[in-house]
Amino acid sequence: MNDFLQLCFAGLALGSRYALVALGFVIIYKATGVINFAQGSMVTLGAYFAYNFHKTWGLPFALAVVMAVAAGGLVGALIQRLLLRRMVGRPVFGVIMITIGLLFLLTEVMASIWGYEARDLGDPWGIDTVKVGGVVLSVKDLWGIALAGVVLLAFFVFFKFSGIGLAMRAAALDQEAALARGISVRRVFGWSWAIAGAVAALAGISLGSGPAAVTPSLGLIALAAFPAMILGGLDSPLGAVIGGVVIGITQTLTAGYQPEYAAFLGTNFHVVMPYVVMIAILLVRPYGLLGTKEVHRL
Amino acid sequence: MSRSTQLRTAGSGRRRTSTLAVAVTTLLTVGLPASTLFAATAPKVGAACTKVNATSKDKSGKAIVCKTKNGKKVWQAVASTPSTAAATTATAAPARGLSKTAGFDGKTIKVGVITALSGSAAVLGKPLAAGQEVFWKYYNEEKGGIAGKYPVEVVLEDNLYESNTTVQKYNKIKDNVVMLSQVMGTAPTLALLPLLKADNVVASPASQDALWVREQNLFPIIEPYQVDAINAMDYAMRSLGAKSKTICAVIQNDVYGEAGLEGLNFAADKMNFDVKAVAKYKQGDQDFTGQVNDLRKAGCQIVFAGALPTEFGKILGTAAQLGFAPQWIGQSPSWVDSLLLTPLKDYLTSRVLIVAVGPEWGDPTVRSAADYAARVKQYKPDQKPDFYFTFGYFQAQATAQLLEKAVAMGSLNRDGIVKAMNSLDKLTFDGLASDYPYGPPEVRDPSRFSTMFKVDAAAPFGLRSLQFNFTSDAARAYTFAKAK
Amino acid sequence: MTPFRKDSANPSMVRDYGDDLHIFASRQTRVVLGLFLVLGVLAPLKLSNFQSTVLDYAGIAAIGAIGLNLLTGFTGQVSLGHAFFLGTGSYTAAYLGGQRHWPFLIFLLAAAAVGALVGAVVGPFALRLRGNYLAIITVGLVFTGQHVFESWTSVTGGLNGTSVAAPPRIGPLDFSRLVVFGHRFGRDQGFLYVIWILVALVALTSKNLVRSRSGRALQAVRDRDVAAEAIGIRLARYKVLAFVVSSSLAALAGALFGSYQQFVAPGDFGLFVSLQYIAMIVVGGVGTTFGPILGALFITAMPRLIEQFSDRIPGVASSPGASGITIFSLNQAIFGALIIAFLVLEPRGLAALWLRVKAYFRAWPLSY
Repeated sequence: MNDFLQLCFAGLALGSRYALVALGFVIIYKATGVINFAQGSMVTLGAYFAYNFHKTWGLPFALAVVMAVAAGGLVGALIQRLLLRRMVGRPVFGVIMITIGLLFLLTEVMASIWGYEARDLGDPWGIDTVKVGGVVLSVKDLWGIALAGVVLLAFFVFFKFSGIGLAMRAAALDQEAALARGISVRRVFGWSWAIAGAVAALAGISLGSGPAAVTPSLGLIALAAFPAMILGGLDSPLGAVIGGVVIGITQTLTAGYQPEYAAFLGTNFHVVMPYVVMIAILLVRPYGLLGTKEVHRL
Repeated sequence: MSRSTQLRTAGSGRRRTSTLAVAVTTLLTVGLPASTLFAATAPKVGAACTKVNATSKDKSGKAIVCKTKNGKKVWQAVASTPSTAAATTATAAPARGLSKTAGFDGKTIKVGVITALSGSAAVLGKPLAAGQEVFWKYYNEEKGGIAGKYPVEVVLEDNLYESNTTVQKYNKIKDNVVMLSQVMGTAPTLALLPLLKADNVVASPASQDALWVREQNLFPIIEPYQVDAINAMDYAMRSLGAKSKTICAVIQNDVYGEAGLEGLNFAADKMNFDVKAVAKYKQGDQDFTGQVNDLRKAGCQIVFAGALPTEFGKILGTAAQLGFAPQWIGQSPSWVDSLLLTPLKDYLTSRVLIVAVGPEWGDPTVRSAADYAARVKQYKPDQKPDFYFTFGYFQAQATAQLLEKAVAMGSLNRDGIVKAMNSLDKLTFDGLASDYPYGPPEVRDPSRFSTMFKVDAAAPFGLRSLQFNFTSDAARAYTFAKAK
Repeated sequence: MTPFRKDSANPSMVRDYGDDLHIFASRQTRVVLGLFLVLGVLAPLKLSNFQSTVLDYAGIAAIGAIGLNLLTGFTGQVSLGHAFFLGTGSYTAAYLGGQRHWPFLIFLLAAAAVGALVGAVVGPFALRLRGNYLAIITVGLVFTGQHVFESWTSVTGGLNGTSVAAPPRIGPLDFSRLVVFGHRFGRDQGFLYVIWILVALVALTSKNLVRSRSGRALQAVRDRDVAAEAIGIRLARYKVLAFVVSSSLAALAGALFGSYQQFVAPGDFGLFVSLQYIAMIVVGGVGTTFGPILGALFITAMPRLIEQFSDRIPGVASSPGASGITIFSLNQAIFGALIIAFLVLEPRGLAALWLRVKAYFRAWPLSY
C-alpha cells in the first residue's frame, strides 16, 4: 500500500509540473488558437534565468524567482511583439511553424550560453524530505504541487475578475466581435504570451529545483505535457491541470508496476504511456475531457 | 559542367532569354548546388586566409590548406587525397620512403576523432577529445610527431553520442584519415563496426566493452567494463560485506549498460550471489521514480550503476528523496565531478563508489602520474582533472604507438595499420594504467586491473582512490568473445 | 491556402483549364527539364564524395517531402508523424533487404507497401480529429513508434540500431560499385542515379495525382472539408487516401535512407525529423510539386555546407576546449531562424522566390 501511495505522490508531483507546462500552452491557445511548440524552451529559459540571478549574480533565491518570472514574461511578450504580430491574419499553421523555429533557436542559444553541464539551481529545498506515515514526501515536490495549485487559482481569479482577463475571454470567444467592441486583440495576444512566459519560468524552476538541476534538455518535458494539455482539452486551464495530474499518476504507476505485470510491453513503456492514454481518450472524446467542441460551418 | 559553360550558353541565345534565364536560374538553384556554390566561394591558392591549418577546396576541387608563409596566412595546395577506390592502395611515389595514402600526404598524418561535443553526453565527449588534443600537441612539439617527422593532425567530428550521426560522420571523413583514434560510445561503435570491416579502417573505441577485444578493426586500449564490474564486486565482497547483502543493478538500456550487467552476472556466478533486481532506463528519461522504487522494493543494499552522469544524478536524486540509501557502485562513465555541486554532495560522499582505471589525478605515490599532471598543465593550463580527459590522452598515446609501428613497418595505408596493430607487442601508458599485451585479436589480453574510488569533494575530480590497480580471480577467469 | 497554381516555367497565358492541367506546361519547361536530365546523367561523373553525399540525402528527403506535401500541402492534414513512416520503411528494408536478402527493387516496393498499410491503419484516426488535435496525436505516433522501434529488437536491433546490408543491386547493376564504359563510380555517386530517378518518378506521379479527379478532391478537402463533403466528396475515402500515399512515399524514402546509410537506429526517426520534413515543405513552398524538392535540397544541404565551411565562420568552437557555439548548435539555430525568416518574409517558400526571379528575368532587361 505504501508503495502505491508513494507512486501516487510521485505522480502527483510530476503531474503538477506537467500541469504548469500545459497551463502555458493553454493560455496561448485560448487567446490565439496557436499551439506554442517553443513553450518547452521558455520553460528551460526560465530555469536558467533563475540560475543566473541566484547563482551567478548572487541574489537571494526568492528574488531570483520573482525576477526570473518577470524575465520569462518579458521574453514571451517580446516574441509576440517582434515576430508574431506580423503574423496576425496569416494562417495559424504558419504561426505554429514559427514557434517550432523558435524552439530550435532558443534551445541552441541557451546551450551556447550555459553549456551542457547540469546547473544546480541552489534552491533552499535541496533533497529535504518529510515522512508522513510510511510515505516519504520531498519538500521540493510539496512546493511544486502547491505552486501548480496557486497558479491555477490565480488563473481563475484573473480570468474572472480582471479587465484583461475579461478581454481575453471575449477575444477567445469571438475575435471579430471583440474587436468590434473595442477590445485590443493585439494587447490580448501580447498579454497571453507574457503570462505564458511567466508560467513557463515557474514551471522551469519547479522542474530544475532539488537534485534535478538545470540542463538544456529540461524543456523536453513539454513534449510529455502535450498529452496532458490535449487530454484536458486544448483551451481549458482546469483541464490542463486535471490532464497533468492524470498523466503524471498514470506514468509513475506504469513505471512502478508495468515491468512486473506487463513486461511484454517492453522496457520504459512508461515513457510512451502518456501518448497511449492521449490517443485512447481522443478517440473517445475528440476534444479532450473539457475542451470546447468546434462547430463546423460551411 | 563548370559555371562558365552555363554562362556561355546563356549569352549565346539572347533572343530566347526567358527560357535560358530560367535555365540558368534553375541551374543555380538546384542543378548543381554544391559545385556551383563552391565555385562561387572557393578560395584561390595564394589568397589570404584567416585560420591556420583550416582546409578547403579551390575551384577545381583540389584540397588546399591555410599555412603561414613569410608571416602571412595564405592558402596553399595540398597533394590531393586518393578516392575511395584507390584508398587502400598507395598511389603516388613515396616522398621520403613512405607512400601517400588516405589521410597521409607525405608530411602530416591525419587521424579522426568522432565524439560527442553537443548534447548531454558532451560533458564526457569534450574532455575525451581534449585529451587527444593535448597528447598530440605534446607529441608533435616534443617528439616532432610520428617517427620524429610526421606531425599528427586530428580531424574532429561531433556525433552527439548517436549511432546514426556517427555513421554519417564516419562516411564524411573516412577518406581523409589514416584511422580513427577515438569513437565515443558503445552503441555508436557497434553501429560503425560493419563499415569499418568493409573499409578495413581501424578505430579506437572510447568505451570499454569486452566485445571490442576480439575485433580486427577495433583498437581497444583499457580493461573492459565487464572486468571493472567483476573487480568492483570482488571489492564489495572483501570490504563491504556484500556476501550477506542484496545486490541489484540499474543500467542504461543499451549495449553500454549491458556490458556492466554482463560483468555483474559473471561475478554473481563466480562469487555465488544473486542479482536481485535490474532496473533499466533510457537515456534522456526525466523521471526515475519507477526504477528507484523497484530497487527499493527489492530491498537492494548494493546497487551497481551502468549509467551516464546526467541520469546517474537524477537516479541518485530520486533515491535520496525517497529515503533510499544503498551502497551505489558506479561504472566509470557514470561520474563527473560537477555532480558534487548539487545538493546531493553529502549523499554522494557517503553512498557512492566508482570503479575505474588509473590512479588519482597527480597521485604522488604513483610513478609518472605527477609527470602527466605537469604535462597537461603545460599544454592546457585550464584543464581540470578529469578521467575522460585521461582516457582520451591514453587513446592518443596508444594510437601513437600504433602509428610508430606502422611507419616502422613501412605503410600507413589501411592494410598497413591493421598489420602494424597485429604485430604490436603491447600498449604502455607510462605506468598510469597496466600494460595491454597486444597482437592479433585472438591473442590480445586486456588488463584485468581496476581501481576503486570513493567520492571526496576535496580530491581532484572528486574521487579518492580506495584501492589502486587491483584484480581478482574472477576477473582473470573472464574470457572474451567476438561481437555478433 | 495556396490555390491551384502552375509551377512550371511557363510565362505564357493559361487559356483554359486544359492548359492548366498539362504536366509540362510548355515547350520551354520541357527544354529545361531535358537540360536537367542531361545534367543529372552527367553530374555524378564530376561530383566529389562530399557533394554526392549531400545530394543523396537531399534526394531521399525529397521523396519523403513530396509525400508529406501531398498530405499536408494538398489535403491540409498537418502531420508530425512523418518520421514514424520513414522508420517503418527503413526497418522494412533492414529486415527484408538486409536479413532476408530480398532484391533491391522488391524490398523497396515492399517497404512502400508496408508504409501504405500502416498509413491505412493510421489514416482513419484523422477522420475523427482535426487541425491541432491531429497534429498532436501524430506527435504521439512518433513517440509510440520509437518505443516499438526500441522494443522489437529482433527486427530493429533495439536502441542500438541495426545495420542495413541491402545493396542497391538491380539485375547485374550494383549501383554502389557502378562501372560504365570503364568509369568506376563511387558508392555515393552511384546512389545518385537510383535516388534521383526515383525522385523524378515520384514527382511525376505526385503531379499526376494532383491534377486528377482525386487530386482535385484532396484540395477541396484541404480548402474546406465540410464544404467538400457537402458537394459529394467522400471525406473518409480521400483523407485515408492521402495518408496512404504519403506514408508509402515516406516508407520508400526510409528504405532508401537505410540502404544508403547502411545503418539505422531509433534516433533517426525522432520528432526532430518530422519537424525537419514540415520545414522542408514550408521552406520549399506548401502545395507545389517542385517546392518539396527545393525544400529538401535546402534543408539537408545547408547544415552540411555550414559544417564544411565552419572554420570560416567566426564564433564557432573549433576545438573541444575552445569556447563558442558548436557546429551542431549553430546548425540547429540557423535552421530555427530560417523557418522563422521564411514564414515572416516569404511564406510561399523557395518556389515563390523562384517565381519572382523568373518574373524578373521574363521582363529582362526592363525592370518590369
